[in-house]
Amino acid sequence: MWNPGGMDAATHEPNPTADSAVAVRPEFDPELRGGLALVGGMFPPTITPDLVDFMRTSYAGPPVAELLDGRRITVRDETFAGHRGDEVVGSIFTADGAVGARPTVLFLHSGGLMFGDRFSGLDRVIDWVERWAVTLVTVEYRLAPEHPDPYAREDCYAALEWLASDADRLGVARDRIMVAGASAGGGLAAGLSLATRDRGGPPLCAQLLDYPMLDDRGRTVSTTQFDGIGVWDRISNETAWRASLGDRYRTDNVSIYAAPGRATDLSGLPPAFIDVGSAEIFRDEAIEYATALWRAGGSAELHVWPGGFHAFDIFAPHATLSRGMIATRDAWVARVLID
Amino acid sequence: MQELLARLTALDTSASMSLRVIACFDELVRGGVNVHALLSAGASMAGSVAGFHDERSGRSMRVGPDGVALPDDADASSIERVAHTDDGLTVWIEKSPPLGMNDAMVVERLALGIGLRLGRNPPDGRRGLSSALDPDVPPHVRQQLLVALGLRPNERHRIVCLPLFATWHRHGHMVEDVVNTPFGPIHVAVVPESVIAIEASPCGIGVPMSLDDLDRSFRTAMVCLRLSAPPDVPTVVADDYGGLVELLAASHTAGPLLDVDPLDAIMAHSWGAETLDALVKAGSVRQAARLADVHHSTMQTRIDEIQRTLPFDPMDGIGRTRIGIAYLVWRLQHSTVLVAPPTAEQR
Repeated sequence: MWNPGGMDAATHEPNPTADSAVAVRPEFDPELRGGLALVGGMFPPTITPDLVDFMRTSYAGPPVAELLDGRRITVRDETFAGHRGDEVVGSIFTADGAVGARPTVLFLHSGGLMFGDRFSGLDRVIDWVERWAVTLVTVEYRLAPEHPDPYAREDCYAALEWLASDADRLGVARDRIMVAGASAGGGLAAGLSLATRDRGGPPLCAQLLDYPMLDDRGRTVSTTQFDGIGVWDRISNETAWRASLGDRYRTDNVSIYAAPGRATDLSGLPPAFIDVGSAEIFRDEAIEYATALWRAGGSAELHVWPGGFHAFDIFAPHATLSRGMIATRDAWVARVLID
Repeated sequence: MQELLARLTALDTSASMSLRVIACFDELVRGGVNVHALLSAGASMAGSVAGFHDERSGRSMRVGPDGVALPDDADASSIERVAHTDDGLTVWIEKSPPLGMNDAMVVERLALGIGLRLGRNPPDGRRGLSSALDPDVPPHVRQQLLVALGLRPNERHRIVCLPLFATWHRHGHMVEDVVNTPFGPIHVAVVPESVIAIEASPCGIGVPMSLDDLDRSFRTAMVCLRLSAPPDVPTVVADDYGGLVELLAASHTAGPLLDVDPLDAIMAHSWGAETLDALVKAGSVRQAARLADVHHSTMQTRIDEIQRTLPFDPMDGIGRTRIGIAYLVWRLQHSTVLVAPPTAEQR
């Protein structure tokens, strides 16, 4: 309804029942609310197991030709040996004319470990290829519930080993590999940073964790504040963790590489960038992870965007808050990764 | 950047895209966002540059679909525009044909939004249906608004409520709009009293009322919508529950409630929902067993369990009323009809 003069809209609102649907939680940013009205049904707030097939259609990445339309970028697919030696596909994006070893981004996509593909949510990341001639590698890690933990994270670890071992041919600067991921991919990126530290694997120069999914235990206040609204609520999160962890969900038998929020030693990790919305369930996990990194003597840059729902930069990239988030993130990437 | 609306339409051809455009601008105006934000949203939806010029102030702005402000290019006049001009205010998108299905709607809503932001529109710029369903608006004003929308003053009508993402099998002509509610933007339609079915799901149909009482029909339609549960119960009509729906519409049912909270334990059983449903509809254990399609002794075992769980006897006297009301309130509290889209099998 219209709200002339910016007056308190609540006083004008027809009240369809006497119920109060208002919970204690930060309001969504008004521009983002507009975005939700447009796309809400494509990504329902509450994802239960029966919606996974719908989400696999709804959240599929765009055709790669569409992603690259009008950009001076070349992409090629290669396979490498993933978990258990199975073939996994990686896409390698390079700027036309780029030569030699370039700063490299290993990107792990979003989609709650259950949907999405290596082209999902790639618009902002692909900008870096054009702008800075980074080598971008995206991984078709395997999805739950068909492939439960550790498939996804071990496919991602195998991808890192592949980049490091075949660096020269792939155009990868071995000492300049950043892992980046959004949501479930952010959790995988944090887990990969821990795993390569502990296994003495290829070093990472930075970890970019966009609104990361870090902890299956769901112990924070923010986890319970957004039931049934926005993008990705408590139930969706439980659906995802259950799909990935099966019987191990919320037991003591969960690896820190699957749920990095469970890690107690965060020392010796690469510099981290963490961004998150104030109006999403991952807010408190993200803040806690940044805090734990600082306590362990690490480097972390944390941004909490007021009124932001989960992945708002993907769903409403035109909004003012999204443009701020994207610009802030890009500035950090330029600082830690680019020549 | 491909336009947002085309991407969404490709994903869900049954969606009422124009209503989403309306709902989006409603949210933006309600949130008091500035002209840049309005233009960003319009540009993003259309996948083209959106701009405005105000003759009174001489102010202009152009914004790309990525939300970035662009130079006020003099050559822009050479680009094909879809424009809306009113009161010295021109709003446009810059696009070469073919135009998208909803481009005209985007420009119209964008113009309305910018007009409001710049103080051009009348003090109550709310659209008719929203005001006509607001109990704080005087009844005679509500009636005038509804008559202006083309409704006959001496006939009773019903309000129909649907989520914006309802699946329509047939969408006939009716007075309809998006109305903002505490549950978010809702697709609201007005139909004659005789209409008790709509070929759309999920859907709630309210009690029939005269025009100056249509807000009551709206409140009951919202309760009915929240009682619906596709695919088994795609539509709920207020008449099925009579006065109970009006009672529920007037009640605070969100918080913890006596009689209702103990139902959690029963509904947790795989047989819980169908058994309670049969129980409140039936007059006897035997009839309940028939409705639930189970053996009489199975039904009796379940009822024994229910009687052990509840602090009152649902089979006796006032207990029958208590279980009936508690069951409806439980369904309202656990309604997911406004948060989840229909799954593939329900389409």
